[in-house]
Parts: sequence; structure tokens; C-alpha cells
Amino acid sequence: MSDSGKKFNIKSLIYGFLSFMLGFVLFLLSICLVLRLTFFSQDFMLDSMANTGYYEMVKDELCDKLKNLGHASGLPDEFFDDFVDDIDIVEVERNYVSAFYTDVSTLVDTDTFKQELMDAINVYIDEKNIDKEKAKEENLGYFIDEASSIYVKSVTVSFFSILANYINKLDSPLRMTEIGLGAAALIIAAIIFFTNRYVHRRYRYLTYGLGGGFLSVIVIPIVVFASGIIPKVNLTTRSLYNLFVGYFNSMFMYFWIFSAILLFLAVLCFFVYRTKYLKAIGD
Amino acid sequence: MDENQSSNRLISGMNFIILPVIFCILILAISAALVYPYANEFAEMSKTYFTDRDIDIPSDCYDIFVPADGDSEEPEVKSVMDSKPQEQRTIPLSSISYPYYGQRLGELIVEDCQIYASLYFGDGNNELNNGVGMYTGGYIPGYGKTVMIAGHNNTDFNGFKYAKKGQKVIIRTYYGTYTYEITDIQVKTSTDSSAYDFSLNYENLIMYTCYPFDELNLTPYRCFVYAKFVSGPVIDKND
Repeated sequence: MSDSGKKFNIKSLIYGFLSFMLGFVLFLLSICLVLRLTFFSQDFMLDSMANTGYYEMVKDELCDKLKNLGHASGLPDEFFDDFVDDIDIVEVERNYVSAFYTDVSTLVDTDTFKQELMDAINVYIDEKNIDKEKAKEENLGYFIDEASSIYVKSVTVSFFSILANYINKLDSPLRMTEIGLGAAALIIAAIIFFTNRYVHRRYRYLTYGLGGGFLSVIVIPIVVFASGIIPKVNLTTRSLYNLFVGYFNSMFMYFWIFSAILLFLAVLCFFVYRTKYLKAIGD
Repeated sequence: MDENQSSNRLISGMNFIILPVIFCILILAISAALVYPYANEFAEMSKTYFTDRDIDIPSDCYDIFVPADGDSEEPEVKSVMDSKPQEQRTIPLSSISYPYYGQRLGELIVEDCQIYASLYFGDGNNELNNGVGMYTGGYIPGYGKTVMIAGHNNTDFNGFKYAKKGQKVIIRTYYGTYTYEITDIQVKTSTDSSAYDFSLNYENLIMYTCYPFDELNLTPYRCFVYAKFVSGPVIDKND
């Protein structure tokens, strides 16, 4: 092999490696950006709650559970129909989720709930002329504590407190990683672009890297959806189940979007390469 | 020469497919190697959270542990009339299909207290909303051990405010009819574990409900009604 041939092969290997690194960096950057736009986004969580009908279902479930408590407490179902309608679940849930993302106290405020319930029971006792002997304060307190516990369990999202802990801890490192990967992608692309003498070769190596990145990113949602694992999650309530499935379906939708962006860029680079290549042959 | 050129172009063109595929395989292999120690742990843990069956929660069901209306089968309950000679007979354990949680087991009747309630296996909200519920940590009638049944004091077990020693309790199940006799009535707190004993080796029935009766709101007290076994087919556990 001639010296120029060897040189060409080494150069090809170096640029091939740079293309691979570009693909790898783009793959990691896509994952980080998907996490940023979904897992680490308060708006995404709130949108998922709204889109999956979470608020309405939590309200129904809370009403159902309180009615069950009412069966053990001598309160009719109608009492809770009226009472739960007055509770603004949307506001309570929004405050609950916001608290995690803003790292403030995440305890659900039960004071308002307790006060409203106590007021509603007192009104009910007066309306029905119930003997005060049959509604002892001690039992009322016991009932309100039980109802309050049901309320807290209904409005809190299972495992969210654990996940939110990671969200708060990993927010800054993720931001630094995104910046680092973005810079690395730009530097690698710049090296490929500015160190190649021939214009068409610049686009060829960029196409390899973007193509590799596209395939790697698209594999993730394909594997997840093909395995069908998301709808098989074991969650006790319908509201949580729907929220989980809706949340992760939307999350993996972002992988499709990022892979589509990478595919578009790869195709664009390929056509520029073809144009430049044909021009170079013509010259 | 032309042939060489076209061959080189073909190889060069194939690179646009082959190289991204190779890159993809390498990227995923490296990523998998990097996350393997954590992924393996996560995969093991996820088995707890994921099932291998399809989940379909009906729209009228808010909780997967509570069957939607109409889901529970109604087993055929033998009437008291059918049970004439069978009280003293023995039935092999293998001939009984053990009830599942939420299944309607039969009926509980205390005529003197005007109690006529559907009896369910399990004492969750769904069961107690529809009748009285048998504690699944206890035993079924005929097993020769402690049977424990709960009910609401404002509905099905409200009649226990008239309970007295010597009154008859009849439990009709799909495998036989059992008769018990009330021996004692006690009020205890809900956390008092001395109110029941599942280690007893003789058939006995404990029924309990909130106390006082007709009270508004929850109470921490329970009324326990104890009954001794009188008659009914005995389950042969050695079969």
C-alpha cells in the first residue's frame, strides 16, 4: 500500500471514530433532553395529570372512599357527594406537585379539609336534628382524622416523593451534562467540518454520526413499546394507573420526536453530500 | 476502470447504511455495559411492579382490589330446608372450592336480632357495603377453628343492639348450613387483640361491629358477639 493510501486509511479511521463519537454524544444528549422535558419538568407532570383525567378520577375515588367511611359512621352517601364537590382537587394536586419541584414542604395541608368536613358535619347535625349525645366530639375527631388520612392518601402520588427526591438532586448535574454533551457534539462536528479538505466528506461523516445517533435513539421507544411493559404496571387505583401509562407514553413520544429530528438532519446532510460529491466528480 | 468506480461507489453508498448500524450496535452495547449493574438491579425490582398479564381496569372500578359491580359470582347457597340430615355429616376438604376474596359465601341470619345479611369472604369496603364480611385471616365455618365476621353497626349488624346470650346464629354457605349459639357479648377497643384468638382448636364464631350503635361518626370501640358451634357439617382436613 502506498503512503498516500495508508494516510487515507488512517484519516478514514479517525473520521469514522469521530462520527461514532458524534453519534454517541447525540444519543446521550437526546436522552438527557428527553429527561429534561419530561421527568424533570413540572409542566409535563401537570399536563399528564390533566390529559389522563387524573383530577376527576381522584375526586371520584376520594368520594368513594369517604362514602365507605360514611357507611361505618352513619353518614349517608349524599353527604359526601356534596362535600367532595366543594374540594378543589385540581388546586390541591397542583400545589402538591409544585412543592416537589420547588423543593419546599411537600406535606399535604389537611387543615382546610378538616375544617370544611367539621363544618359540613355540624350543618348536617343541625339540619337533621341529630341528638348531640349521638354525635360525641371524641368520635367526631376520630372520624375526621380517618377521613383526613384517606384524603392525604388520595391526593398523593405513589412513589412520586421518592422520584422527586432524585429530581431535585439530579437537576443541576443533568444541566451540566446537557451543556457538556451539547458542547462536545458541536466540537466534534466542527472538527469533522473544518479539518476535511473536501466539502462532500464533511457531510458524509456528519451523516454517519447523525444516522448512528438516530438508530440508537429510535431503538429505545421501539423496545419499550414492543415489550408492552408500560400497560402491565401494577398500581392499585385507576387514577394512578392511567397517570402512569399516560405519563410514560408521552415520555417515549419525545424519543420518537428526537429520533425524527436526527433522521431529518442525517437525510439533509446526505443530500448535501450527494450534491457536493456529484459536483466534485463533475469538476 | 468503470467497473471499479461503480463498485467503489456502491461500497461507499452502502456505508451510509452499514456504518450507522454498526455505530448503533456499538453505542447500545457500550451503554448497556455501563448501566448493566444498575439495570440488572432495576430489572429485578421491576418484577414487583409489573405483571406478565394484561391489565384492564373497568371504568366503574377505582381500585383493582375491589371487583366492579357484577364481577362477583353468586354461588348457589343451600337453603336451610336442603340441609336436614347433613348437619352432623363430614365433608372432605377436597370437595370444597375454597372461597376467593370478595366472593359471596352465603348468608348470616340472627332472627332474634332481625339480622339477615349476605355473607362475603373478605372484610373490605366492597364486602361490608353489600353485607357482612368474613376475615380471611380466620377460618371458614366447619373448619373447626375461629370464624370471624365483621359488619357495619348502622346497617347489617345494627340488630346486635338486641343481642342476648342463647340466641341462635345461622350461617348458610354453599357447602352447608351451620348453627351457632351466642355465648357472650363484650365491648372492647378496636386495637384490643385479646378480643379474638385464632389459635383455638374448636369451632367458634366471633362477630363484631362498631359500638355504640346508631352513633354518628367513627368510634374506637367494638361490640364483640361470641357464639359457640351447635351443628353443621364438619370439614375433614385429613382428606
